[in-house]
Amino acid sequence: MIEFYHVSKQYVKNVWVLNDITFSIKKGEFVFLTGVSGAGKTTLLKMIYKDEIPTKGQILIDSSNISLIGRGDVYKLRREIGIIFQDFKLLSNRTIYENVALPLLIRGERKSLIDKRVNSSLSLVGLSHRRNYYPMHVSGGEQQRAAIARAIVANPKILIADEPTGNLDTELSIEIFHIFERINANGITIILATHDRHLLNMFPKRIISLDQGKVVLDREGGGIQDD
Amino acid sequence: MIRGALRNGFTHILRNRLVSLLSLSVIAFALLIFGVFDFVNHQIDSYINNFSKNVEAIFYLKDQANFKEIQQLADRLKGNALVKEITFISQDQALRDFNNQYPDLKYILAEFEQSPFPASLQVIFHPVQPENHEKITSLINDVLSLSIVESKQINLEWAEKLTAVNRFINAVGWFLSTILIVISIFIIFNTIKINIVYRKDEIILFRLIGASDAYIRIPFIIEGAIMGFLGSIMACFLLFLLFKVFPMTASIIFDAVKNMIDLTRIAPTLYLKMIILGTLIGLFSSLLSLRRFLKN
Repeated sequence: MIEFYHVSKQYVKNVWVLNDITFSIKKGEFVFLTGVSGAGKTTLLKMIYKDEIPTKGQILIDSSNISLIGRGDVYKLRREIGIIFQDFKLLSNRTIYENVALPLLIRGERKSLIDKRVNSSLSLVGLSHRRNYYPMHVSGGEQQRAAIARAIVANPKILIADEPTGNLDTELSIEIFHIFERINANGITIILATHDRHLLNMFPKRIISLDQGKVVLDREGGGIQDD
Repeated sequence: MIRGALRNGFTHILRNRLVSLLSLSVIAFALLIFGVFDFVNHQIDSYINNFSKNVEAIFYLKDQANFKEIQQLADRLKGNALVKEITFISQDQALRDFNNQYPDLKYILAEFEQSPFPASLQVIFHPVQPENHEKITSLINDVLSLSIVESKQINLEWAEKLTAVNRFINAVGWFLSTILIVISIFIIFNTIKINIVYRKDEIILFRLIGASDAYIRIPFIIEGAIMGFLGSIMACFLLFLLFKVFPMTASIIFDAVKNMIDLTRIAPTLYLKMIILGTLIGLFSSLLSLRRFLKN
């Protein structure tokens, strides 16, 4: 599903943010991407939806080399991917419902379908009661759930989440992780960047760990404190 | 999608009401100036055309001209392809015509034993294009050189002078309109820029969640087109007010040309021209702004 072949990235000459990364993720897998701040997690995730371009190496999604996708066609790739941003990126002048509906709106979907899908996504993340609220009027955890609902509303093949629980307390983080598990159970491939060791231990999934731009661990079954 | 883009376009305009109103006013003013000059220009043009189509000359004949000489001149003119019609007006006929036309002034001429008016040959030419006026002028000069002809009166010279004035009006109109249209383009360009900056976060998000380039750009393009369109509607309305509702005021403004211009008759094509021009200005400005400020 997602294949990285010797991918490297540098912004400044001779400073490699990512260095010779090779791995593959199968369809329906749930993968934790971990590492300290500055390890290269966000850059790696951005490369999957072509917000960053590798300096070296190739990335294949569904066996297609994404470096061959033209600028005007990147949107097609992004429609296959749901993204949960570290800062949520909810539009403050739109209600939770309208925010969640955005991916369907830009696809030109019918209103009845949008209504059905948005309600179903909000229900999955437990946010139906806040549908008409504006982001600034709900809590951080609810904003996070709205961002998740928006990421899954268009049935993406891949879900990418960058530090989705970074600003949440442990109890809320666990709740959010349970939501991800439910989404993954529907066959969606999930790549989730986090450095929360507690959660990594609680949810035994495949872990890819980065350090100074290199893969230092790629292991099934979680449990990072043993390493 | 287009309905959504139209809605978004209107939302953008309403969001920055003051800026939008300023832009609309400038576009409306630019198009109004264009409209006024175009209107006046065409009216004078059609007046001149009508004028030129009916070129007439009156040759006043000397009193000592005898019938034979007059007949020869008339025959010569009749034989010319440019001449459509010739009428001989005798001295007595001229007096009768005057008395019929101005009965109140009859007493002035009562003291004359003979008609004080000279006999004349009235020549009506076939309609010709303005570029063929030279041929008529040359024929008239030939006739004038004859000893029996005293003087002439011709409407062609007036038409030529008017053409020169109209050319000048046309040039002033184009000059002013071009300057104002460039200013309008600059203003819409900046209004769209403000909206792009205002919606920067939204644009970034839209791109990341898979919005196509067209989806992001079309509302801005439509916004520019709507502004141009609304500006042109405002200009049409102002033009209508200027010439239709206040024809008296307009007559004062265009006092010099009021006899040539039917101020109450504005061709629908002028409105159409203004609306198309306004919309194109809006489209062009927004495309320019997008090219500059909305990079992929």
